[in-house]
Amino acid sequence: MKALDIALKDLKRSFRSAFALVFMFGVPLLMAGMFYFMFGGTANANTFNLPVTKVVIANLDQGGEAFKNIQAQIPGVTAATSMGDLIVSTLEDKSFASLMQVSLGENAEAARTAVDQQKAGVALIIPADFSTRFSNLSGQASLELYQDPTLTIGPGIVQSILDQFMDSLSGAKIAAAVTVKQTGSTDPALIGRVMQQYLAASPKGDPTGTLLDIQDIQPSSKSTDLLQKIIGPILGAMTIFYAFFTGTTTAQSILREDEEGTLPRLFTTPTTQSTILGGKFLSVGLTVVVQMVVLLLLGELIFHIAWGSLVPVSLITIGTIMAAATFGIFVNSFLKDTSQSGLVFGGVLTVTGMLGMLPILSGAASTSGVLATISLAVPQGWSVRGLIQAMNGAPLNTILLTLAVQVMMSIVFFMVGLLRFRKRYA
Amino acid sequence: MDGNAIEIKDLYKSFGEVRAVQGVSFEVKKGEIFSLLGPNGAGKTTILSMLACLLHPDQGDASILGHSLRKDPMGVKSVLGVVPQEIALYEDLSARENLTFWAKMYGLRGADLKQRVEEVLEVIGLADRARDYIKKYSGGMKRRVNIGVALLHKPQVILMDEPTVGIDPQSRRSILDSVMALKQQGTTVLYTTHYMEEAQELSDHIAIMDHGKLIAAGTNTELVRIVGEMDRITLTVNTEGSRVVDAWKAVRGVQKVSSEDGTLSVLADDSNQVLPRLFEAAASSGIRITSVAILEPNLEAVFLQLTGRALRD
Repeated sequence: MKALDIALKDLKRSFRSAFALVFMFGVPLLMAGMFYFMFGGTANANTFNLPVTKVVIANLDQGGEAFKNIQAQIPGVTAATSMGDLIVSTLEDKSFASLMQVSLGENAEAARTAVDQQKAGVALIIPADFSTRFSNLSGQASLELYQDPTLTIGPGIVQSILDQFMDSLSGAKIAAAVTVKQTGSTDPALIGRVMQQYLAASPKGDPTGTLLDIQDIQPSSKSTDLLQKIIGPILGAMTIFYAFFTGTTTAQSILREDEEGTLPRLFTTPTTQSTILGGKFLSVGLTVVVQMVVLLLLGELIFHIAWGSLVPVSLITIGTIMAAATFGIFVNSFLKDTSQSGLVFGGVLTVTGMLGMLPILSGAASTSGVLATISLAVPQGWSVRGLIQAMNGAPLNTILLTLAVQVMMSIVFFMVGLLRFRKRYA
Repeated sequence: MDGNAIEIKDLYKSFGEVRAVQGVSFEVKKGEIFSLLGPNGAGKTTILSMLACLLHPDQGDASILGHSLRKDPMGVKSVLGVVPQEIALYEDLSARENLTFWAKMYGLRGADLKQRVEEVLEVIGLADRARDYIKKYSGGMKRRVNIGVALLHKPQVILMDEPTVGIDPQSRRSILDSVMALKQQGTTVLYTTHYMEEAQELSDHIAIMDHGKLIAAGTNTELVRIVGEMDRITLTVNTEGSRVVDAWKAVRGVQKVSSEDGTLSVLADDSNQVLPRLFEAAASSGIRITSVAILEPNLEAVFLQLTGRALRD
């Protein structure tokens, strides 16, 4: 009972500190919120809107004889007088209207100037010999993309579309080159047929649809899933990262109370050392419990994150709480006084936290791979792993294995911390 | 043990090379105020820390109401209230919350707890400020709450470690009155201080400590008798005091001379006869006396007699 009294007193003190509240709840939510809005999250969670990118195209392509020879054989090219025209008409397709707004520039300099003046996000410059180089089976055709360096998502999308477009044509070109090499014929009609057959053999089986595989990017449940898949692991990782900070800073209250004289005074009351230390440890655990539960619930309510089924998430949350609380006790047991805490906390928690978040920071949010393996060297890594597993709907035995490792680590941390603190206050 | 609340037998405590307490023994009778008087570093707080079970004695033992420090520390803690030298309270909790928490640590629950907390708030005169955080209190108010915590479980013995350090005269008066009130209720108080006046005013018995040793003990009257009818003369001079110390030690009728912060203390058999000789000795050294005060025999004089140093050294 006294242990609980000590824990509740500490909990009350923690939640009276505005700094602690901001640190425990505000910062993780703020960071997740930044990502949420960065990726287009709005008050209406059923929509996922990427920003429309202004693209100015300087189409300098002159076409050429070689292009005309194969023009009739390539689906969708018949109306174009050059490859440049083909690219322009592709990007102007209404399918991309929600992603980009295309306009034509008079020349390359005008297009670049539009970007420099931030009137456009991306300038696409199609050189004059683009069609000629493309039509030459041994030639190399290239495009110039000039982008606003402050933008990341929009230019990336434009480049991705062009890559896909060019990959399709390059594949057909390679098929034609192989044909020429094997048959020794340079008959444009033959080359055109080969390219047509290559494009017709695409997975969709529709030659007209092979130059670009345009996916539906209109608002849908899939878009909400995408948002959740981005925000979920980020908030999850933030929750874990700050849970370990909270565990360690809360456990620091043992040292702080020692310095403030309240811990020695506790030892003058008819309360055993085990009860006092037990109460302090319990307070660390309770504080992390409150933080994690609140953050997970807010993540679901605000960002509509699906953390996974209740049982796996609960198990991993329990494991994380144990690991964060005991890790805090473990770290503090090595400190002489609170004056050392800033440096040690900053170093230990930042390094272990970043290591643990490697699977998230790499963008893959995966439990496999080198980075995921490295992250398992620290307790945060196992918590991140468990969270990813829960979110991906991993089977219960997989979750239990992760939990078992968390529990074992927690026992080690707790025993080391307990022994060191008992020795110190014996 | 009849009649004794505290019995200390041959206590020793060292911190590395520093021998903080060296073979101290004394008894404190039930219901009395017993003061440990001595300068900083004399070993007073170390003795209290051992009695409060915060430090293990290297040697010796003590018992409080029959509970041995070594054999029954929980028994000791249950009958003991401790007022530490430094404020040991939670600054971000209110006075009532602090008292409630500490009452729980002393095992109080339910209605008894609430009633006792309100009683203590009245005793320390902070009932109307009970909801304020401790950090909003003045130093004197914090001291009063600090004492209040030790009263919660109505202990029969209270240890007070220099409870009046660093507070205003009004709060100091309030604390001294509350200590006297505790005595009237039958509580035994072991009080440490380096203020001679406090020890003289409060104590039934006084033990004087220096360098970890108990150098004298008794009632105020008994201790003052050590210096007999000697007078204490304090003087200031127009130059470095140490220049005249040796000359004055040689003056007939002078027993002790000490110098601190420009003030010289002289223990003399008869101030009327000695004082002209002091002036003469000073003049022959080219030193001018700028002020003189003659004091009746007191604990300060006792300490000077026993150690050759002023109590505030």
